[in-house]
Amino acid sequence: MRVLIIEDEEKTADYLHRGLTEQGYTVDLSREGIEGLHLGLENEYAVIILDVMLPGLDGYGVLRALRARKQTPVIMLTARENVDDRIRGLREGADDYLGKPFSFLELVARLQALTRRSGGHEPVQVSIADLWIDLISRKATRAGIRLDLTAKEFSLLSVLARRQGEILSKTSIAEMVWDINFDSDANVVEVAIKRLRAKLDGPFESKLLHTIRGMGYVLESRDGE
Amino acid sequence: MASNSIALRLSGLFALIAMLVFVLIGWALYLQVEKGLGLLPAAELDARYSVLESAVNRYGTPEHWAKINAKLKLLSEEDKRIHFWVVSDNPLYEFGNPDATIRQFAEGRLGMRSLQLPNSEFPLKVLVSQFPAKDQRPPLRFMIAIDTQTFWNTQHALLMALISLAGIGIVLASALGYWAARIGLKPLASLSLEAQKLTPPRLSGRLQLSSLPPELDQFVSSFNSTLERVEQAYSRLESFNADVAHELRSPLTNLIGQTQVALTRGRSAEHYFEVLQSNLEELERLRSIINDMLFLASADQGSKATELTCASLAEEVATTLDYLDFILEDAQVQVEVHGDASVPIEKAHLRRALINLLHNAVQHTEPGRVIRVDIHSDGEQASVGVTNPGGVIDAEHLPKLFERFYRVDASRSNSGANHGLGLAIVKAIALMHGGSVFVRSEAGINTFGINLPH
Repeated sequence: MRVLIIEDEEKTADYLHRGLTEQGYTVDLSREGIEGLHLGLENEYAVIILDVMLPGLDGYGVLRALRARKQTPVIMLTARENVDDRIRGLREGADDYLGKPFSFLELVARLQALTRRSGGHEPVQVSIADLWIDLISRKATRAGIRLDLTAKEFSLLSVLARRQGEILSKTSIAEMVWDINFDSDANVVEVAIKRLRAKLDGPFESKLLHTIRGMGYVLESRDGE
Repeated sequence: MASNSIALRLSGLFALIAMLVFVLIGWALYLQVEKGLGLLPAAELDARYSVLESAVNRYGTPEHWAKINAKLKLLSEEDKRIHFWVVSDNPLYEFGNPDATIRQFAEGRLGMRSLQLPNSEFPLKVLVSQFPAKDQRPPLRFMIAIDTQTFWNTQHALLMALISLAGIGIVLASALGYWAARIGLKPLASLSLEAQKLTPPRLSGRLQLSSLPPELDQFVSSFNSTLERVEQAYSRLESFNADVAHELRSPLTNLIGQTQVALTRGRSAEHYFEVLQSNLEELERLRSIINDMLFLASADQGSKATELTCASLAEEVATTLDYLDFILEDAQVQVEVHGDASVPIEKAHLRRALINLLHNAVQHTEPGRVIRVDIHSDGEQASVGVTNPGGVIDAEHLPKLFERFYRVDASRSNSGANHGLGLAIVKAIALMHGGSVFVRSEAGINTFGINLPH
């Protein structure tokens, strides 16, 4: 999948380029507005990641010129996160909006959401090693034993299971499970993960739910390592 | 000097008032004098006539008439303003060499009249009288005239004197007025000198009331109370800046130190991995502080909640409790919700405020106790109060609990998850909705809450 990054800040551009390439994307990089717009118009991209503050033509200008001819999904990045900027970006036709400082995981999650939106179907059942989840009847078993989960615990498990192998940040988990899209002092996600882990991994030898320090959580089988 | 200087304005006003007074008085004086001067020529003519009348009437012969002529000649030489004319059919009984103009004038109406001679600037005032025939004398017309130039001159001189006196008076009034105003305004000048000394960081001084006139009392006391508020805000800002620096300093110290230690010699990949993870945790902490600060800053700049929808507060509390469910269970704390009200809110913001309020309550509640959420509504506003049984909070802390980084217990200042902005964010959200926050502490029952306008 091919994405275009238009970003003049060198370090940001470099780590985005490297990180997204490692995530399996084909990445084109432009460090200024006019060239970026040219690339965006010439080529077909799955998503364009566009910084607001750019030399030459700023992000809003690029977006306006792009939208005149194309509907490529755009994620805007900005250091000035206030409501007006957000509204302006979305009104000009941006599909999503991330304020700096943002986490890389967050960006990847948004990218996937945008690319998944077009087509793709939600799985009905997920299985990871000996874990089996039925997303319709909301049942989960491990090694054939029914897991006794509360509704919230099941929601948390299904969010992780749908993105198995992907690291999910606390923020995106809170957003997907509880529709809370801001940091709060309450460490609800940590507590919820602890409870889920006790039921999911507690009685079993092989662990599936892993904590990635400082980043978030991932549901995957690591027995093969 | 600025054009709106009080002294200049006052002196201008004095000048205006002086001008008004002088014009009124001068005008009245002038009218009075003009009236008096107008009567003078007629009175003089009457006086002369009454002296001559009987003599003219009495004498009818040419011999006698010569006496009259001599008398008239003497009189007109005595006073150059006075002219006499006698017109009759017989040249012997005439006087003053009346020409055609005079003769024609003499034929007109008897009594007091005005005569404009072609070679004179001012008209003559003329008393025309008629005498019947006597002895050899035919009937005659007798005219006494007086030149009005002197009266005009007097009147004119008076006018000029009045105008120049008024001018001098106006200039004097405005100059004296300016001087008086300067003296009267001296307290203001010393006041502003005193006020100039009160610049940050020397805000603790106050303007002194005792040395000032009572008219400035109100101004000075309201200025002083403004100063007090500014000083409070300034010191809050100063300590806020210090707090921010402090909050950022400890994660930064960890980041720099850990990274330096890791780089001083070769380490295993696992070690680097661990350092990076630890750095990431610190960075996340920085990010969360910065995001909260940005949120507070945008509220400070007057940002308002925009996407308002009318919602049930009880439902929002229920959603929040659903989110906090695991935390409540872990803390073994129950929550009761009483009442309901519907107000326009921006849901995401309000939810954030409720989470912070409830989380704050959970943190200060012993296991097994009950937190109570009361939703009240009156005509103007609805309130959500979160009450928990907890320690007594000293009254001195109460007004400051919603301030940024304010902690009752200074030793808790660096507890990891909680960086002391939770209640400040609640307050910011209340302000964004045009509402307010409140706190009560009575006998170990503490209530923190938010008021929202309908």
